[in-house]
Amino acid sequence: MRNLATVYWRALVQRKRLLGTVFLWTFFLWITTPFMIIMLKSVGRNWFGRKWLPPNLTLDWYRWAVTVANIPRILANTLIIAAIAVTISTLIALPTGWALGRRKVRGKELLTSIILLPRMIPPIAYALGVAQIFYRLHLVDKYLGVGLAHVAICAPYATLVLSSTFQALDDRVLEASAVCGANQLRTFFHVTLPMVLPGILSSIIFTFTTSYNELTLTLMTYGPHTITLPVRTYLAVGEGYWEVTSAMSMILVIPSFFVLFMIQREIAPEKLVGGFKGV
Amino acid sequence: MSNVMIELRDTSKRYGKLLANDRLNLSILRGELMTLLGPSGCGKTTALRCITGQVTPDEGQVLIDDIDVTNLPTHKRELGMVFQNFALFPHMTVYQNVEFPLMIRNEPQAESRERVMETLRLIRMESYEKHYPRQLSGGQQQRVGLARALVYRPKVLLLDEPLSNLDAKLREEMRFEIKDLVRRLGITAVYVTHDQAEALAMSDRVAVMNAGRIEQIGTPDEIYECPHSRFVADFIGLSNFLRGKVVSSSGEQATVEIDGRLLIVPAAGAAQVGQDWLVFVRPNDIELLPVTGEPIENELDGTVSKLTYLGDRIDYRVALGSALELRVQTDGKVRFAAGEQVRVRLPPASCRPVTE
Amino acid sequence: MSDAPSRRQNLITLLLLSPGLAGFFGLFFYPMLVTLERSLHPEGQTQGWTLENYAVLFRDSDFSRVILLTFFLAISSTLLSIALSVPLALLLRRKPAGHRLLRMTVLVPITVPGLIGAFGLLLFWGSRGWFNLSMMPLLGRTEPIQVNYTLVGLVIFYVWHYFSYTATTTLSTLEGLDPAIEEAATVAGATPSQVLRHVVIPLIMPGILSGSVLSFMAAFGAFSIPLVTGGSLRPLAVSIYKQIEVFTPARWSAASAMAAVMATLQVIFLAIYMRVLRRPTA
Repeated sequence: MRNLATVYWRALVQRKRLLGTVFLWTFFLWITTPFMIIMLKSVGRNWFGRKWLPPNLTLDWYRWAVTVANIPRILANTLIIAAIAVTISTLIALPTGWALGRRKVRGKELLTSIILLPRMIPPIAYALGVAQIFYRLHLVDKYLGVGLAHVAICAPYATLVLSSTFQALDDRVLEASAVCGANQLRTFFHVTLPMVLPGILSSIIFTFTTSYNELTLTLMTYGPHTITLPVRTYLAVGEGYWEVTSAMSMILVIPSFFVLFMIQREIAPEKLVGGFKGV
Repeated sequence: MSNVMIELRDTSKRYGKLLANDRLNLSILRGELMTLLGPSGCGKTTALRCITGQVTPDEGQVLIDDIDVTNLPTHKRELGMVFQNFALFPHMTVYQNVEFPLMIRNEPQAESRERVMETLRLIRMESYEKHYPRQLSGGQQQRVGLARALVYRPKVLLLDEPLSNLDAKLREEMRFEIKDLVRRLGITAVYVTHDQAEALAMSDRVAVMNAGRIEQIGTPDEIYECPHSRFVADFIGLSNFLRGKVVSSSGEQATVEIDGRLLIVPAAGAAQVGQDWLVFVRPNDIELLPVTGEPIENELDGTVSKLTYLGDRIDYRVALGSALELRVQTDGKVRFAAGEQVRVRLPPASCRPVTE
Repeated sequence: MSDAPSRRQNLITLLLLSPGLAGFFGLFFYPMLVTLERSLHPEGQTQGWTLENYAVLFRDSDFSRVILLTFFLAISSTLLSIALSVPLALLLRRKPAGHRLLRMTVLVPITVPGLIGAFGLLLFWGSRGWFNLSMMPLLGRTEPIQVNYTLVGLVIFYVWHYFSYTATTTLSTLEGLDPAIEEAATVAGATPSQVLRHVVIPLIMPGILSGSVLSFMAAFGAFSIPLVTGGSLRPLAVSIYKQIEVFTPARWSAASAMAAVMATLQVIFLAIYMRVLRRPTA
């Protein structure tokens, strides 16, 4: 067995191109197999011992997730909290992003870095503070409280996306519209809005997903009435019912894949990665 | 050792449906500056890349210095190349840039230093050795590019539109500088450009390319004076084309009837009565005369329909009848107004039949 | 007179910025202050000042082990990320078959919740996971190889999750390179490996560096991955959380002191990162 492996390895090294391809697809498998296993686990029955694939398929675990783990309720919590976080973040980011993207601001670089700071400091550090403040304000275990906590991490993101959207607006196009005789209102509705709508939309989708996935800040502010999907999944991992956990994970992962497709099409990935890129 | 330095033998290259090079045959002599001239997409860059080895032709062979290099990787071909966007290494100083080819070849330090400084002196950049490319102007960068290409005395110097990123005035200076340098070093050079003025000013020979083929190869004056095809005539300089039928032929000359008027055109014997001909004449070879008396041989009467003042010359459009318009450029000593009757003279020596 | 409109403009700007600033101060800056304040109170009290919480940290050998572990994980995973990202970027740039899918794959770990990634990794590398199913017969072992909850396993999982930062910045720097520069090196006689060594690597170094600092910072603050897959190995963020989760009553002051140390370190890294980014790139 070992010999065969060496023989294959030598043949590979001799063919550099092939080696590259093997490298790439090994990488692909390394990244994606965890998800494949979760997927199989969530629909497999009697998958014990040394078996590559589940012997039978079933939807029982999803049924369990719904009935026993009360997933619909938890999903509703998650969505409500995400909606609150998205709304507040967008309301914050629209004016702030406009000012940063289109107006003269003294010390703009510094300001942008400061506003993005919550994305660079591990959330646990300020989550401790947020939790203590929210205890005092009786916001713990409230939708508003958890949603507001999420804003800490969602708003910087939204601001980043929106300010670059507004910055990309071409002044000459707006001028052209004015020259064509459109008044400010018409310019706004017919020119400005269509141009920035994609940016606003992607900001909303990003913040939604960030909130939907958020674990740290929720762990510090949730309570029995505001358990979210990530928290429930985390608790389930600890409980050790891995089939049901897999089913929950499958539900949890859905919005992220939307985002993945979107990044690929719309936004330069390095922008997503470096909050400070372009500062 | 033959006197041919580079030879393309029936090389073809296809990109999907596009035939970028269609059975090219090209011999570039030792010490010659050959220009590949053509509009963008004509295949000149592909031809150059076949020589550098960046592109392997689908068919045919590439020979450099009598060696078949068709399948030889680029870095073993001993070439020097100058790029349109300079392509200097931004993380290296001028000195390091020029030294790069020698470093790759493991030249001894002392010898290498001497050679680099000698080359930098050649392009008058010796005082910039510690500068980085971003600190130099475009012209200086391109001179460094030239030094880097020449420093290890390659067999061939390749220049890929080296002047098109420079402004007009500098471009003209650099033309002469490059031409002079190539002459002095006696190096074989291949120059790729879409700028016909550049090609005419610099080259020993020009290969005009169109749609993946070579249309014509010749010295600059051959290409300008005696274009074989409508494409070459049109691409190099301004041209008038007149379509007509040969009505009589007498060995050296043929008479062509164009829209009811007769034109005498020199013909290298091949004219046959009844043939359709395309006659070409340059706007600045046409003379404009006031209308006096009857027109004689190769004189036609018309009306100035439009004129444009160009400073050193004047560009006229002269309508001959309803369907025919000639473009004429004069030095502006005698001027005509729009709407004025004029007589145009097309000297027989300036008229030339070309193929479509 | 000319001052008036500009002052009005400044006021408008400030007004537009105020929601963002309010959010920043209310949800980040003030909480950080509260954390700091709490770290200076004795454990279990909200009155009185002390430095005891910090003193305990520095006396306690557990905490230095935590810091060491955190640094070890962040550094080793960053180095491995570089080792993975550079060849990956070089291969992807040539647009091989399926490169779109592969590019998306690079982004998967940082887009998908770390929780799920961690859970999937546990399943894959576990004693009955596909890793052991394939390695045990290949290496002729009867006992599964223990990866989960070990240091090596944690490094693998960190690389899995945090290499994206390095890979994306490396790839984007690489794609910003002018291909003519490499062509120039090749024509000048450099073999592919010489081109890589003398031209490509030095030119993409700034991208690799800034991506690495990002990877490092993210890995330093790692929470979900070690929370789920670390077992008894608890880097800083997890240790902080455990002070709250495990102890009753929760040890807020101890947690806060640790968080203050962490935030300080992270700000230092951030300063380094800004330096790296600002470095005049060639």
